[in-house]
Amino acid sequence: MKLRKRKANTFTFRQARNALFEMVRHNIKLQYRNSILGVAWTILNPLLTMIVLALVFSRLLSNRGITIDYPVYIMCGNVVFSFMRMCTSQCLPCIVSNGDLLTKTRVPHIVFPLSTALSSSINFAFSIIAVLLVMLVRMWSGADITFSWTIIMIVPYFPALFGFSLGVGLILCVIFVRFRDIKHLYGIFLMLWTYGTPLFYSETILSDKMATVELFNPMYHFVKYFREVVALGDAGDFKTLGICYASAAAAMIVGLLLFNWRKKVFALYV
Amino acid sequence: MNEELRETNENIEKESEVLVDVRDVSMCYKILVEKVDNLKEYVVKLLKRKIKYKELWALKDVSLQVKRGVSLGIIGRNGAGKSTLLKLISGVLEPTEGEIITKGNIVPLLKLGAGFDKNATGRENIYLNGAMMGYSRKEMDEKMDSILAFADLGTDIDLPLKNYSSGMVSILGFSIAVDVNPDILIVDEVLSVGDAPFREKCAKKIKELQEKGTTFIIVSHDQSTILRMCQEAVWINNNRIADFGDTKTVMDEYNQYCKEHPERDNSQSKYARHE
Repeated sequence: MKLRKRKANTFTFRQARNALFEMVRHNIKLQYRNSILGVAWTILNPLLTMIVLALVFSRLLSNRGITIDYPVYIMCGNVVFSFMRMCTSQCLPCIVSNGDLLTKTRVPHIVFPLSTALSSSINFAFSIIAVLLVMLVRMWSGADITFSWTIIMIVPYFPALFGFSLGVGLILCVIFVRFRDIKHLYGIFLMLWTYGTPLFYSETILSDKMATVELFNPMYHFVKYFREVVALGDAGDFKTLGICYASAAAAMIVGLLLFNWRKKVFALYV
Repeated sequence: MNEELRETNENIEKESEVLVDVRDVSMCYKILVEKVDNLKEYVVKLLKRKIKYKELWALKDVSLQVKRGVSLGIIGRNGAGKSTLLKLISGVLEPTEGEIITKGNIVPLLKLGAGFDKNATGRENIYLNGAMMGYSRKEMDEKMDSILAFADLGTDIDLPLKNYSSGMVSILGFSIAVDVNPDILIVDEVLSVGDAPFREKCAKKIKELQEKGTTFIIVSHDQSTILRMCQEAVWINNNRIADFGDTKTVMDEYNQYCKEHPERDNSQSKYARHE
């Protein structure tokens, strides 16, 4: 007879949800605990980053090929990329940093990366307010910007961005449990990824070869779609949205398989 | 008459109700002979074919039952596998072989205040720690008054945890864990920390819980605690059950064994190498 394996005394769905919500709430609270401006920072942060980038790069790089107002162009790209960066780099250490909970309580392991991704999502919602603020200010100072209903296309778009970031986050946190130097490697990789994605330059200045490479960069498609629906008032290209969902599905499948395969040995390495 | 009979029957049934059923459970850790925690070293060692794992059987073929109202003490030498057994019953670890069936609300207390955040206030930590046991904010609100009454921290409850003494942290953790009226409370040595008043307070609360019908599973090197609290004991030796039954009998046998074997028995070393 083959022996059955089963974990005892597991959390019910409701218990896991309670743990998840409380962790998200706590993450958000913790983030700006000792600052007077508090949550306002979630809006201010992307605004200030945008101003710095706009100041630096409008001098350095030509705005050649960018049809959207430059600050709005930067803002859109940066907000999307920041979400992915924040989500993945905070997911990376989450299993190790919650080692105590992992070895002493029965909170399901998936709660740790999931709560991190959800906290980043709340920040993302706030940074969209920052995007809208910039658009309003630019419109008022004479730039050619129109608000359009298409901005609601963010709603069907966001799950793809969330899934992709969580999927990459899952892969990273599993690797980090075993190999601690992945943190530094990923830091370098993130830098390459940031500059390799058309965030503050136009894709039209890329060479043909680079443009082909760009097609395999999921973030290129995510940023492109976000700009189209938010800044251009375009209904959005369904092919781009399709690519977004495909990369999200791929990242999630790999991430979840890896996570489920390794979760039993987490306790040995944290 | 009939009803009375049925009630007695139900009582008997309830008393002999099996809350934890451990069936042929084994737990194997597969660990690296030499610790390698970064990719660079791993690749180098992989190329040199120096990545070797060893299997460490922390528990082998363990079967036991815990019935309602019959508290269980777990005794044995250091490294015998006591804590692993507790973690398996708690649901923190998954057994390599076998299965464990549990019934009722089982609360593991493997560490007082697991997941406490030093920068948050005592009150916030009550919600946070409660959530780690699966309780919602609303449920914790209902328990809040009695937790605060037991912890007895006064206005300090709204100070950040980093300003607490370690005794205060322990008492807060204990207050949260015992306020949930568990069917089974699993305790791993945690009650041997803190000063005398803290231990007295814990002992009193535990007695109260036991009278209310909570069953305990305890790991402790303090034999008087186990004698006082547990009706049954299991002695784990070299990762197997050496004896299981009445507390006094098992403990006498264990003490006898310890007298005869003051050194740890390494003949059946668990560090058997599998390459």
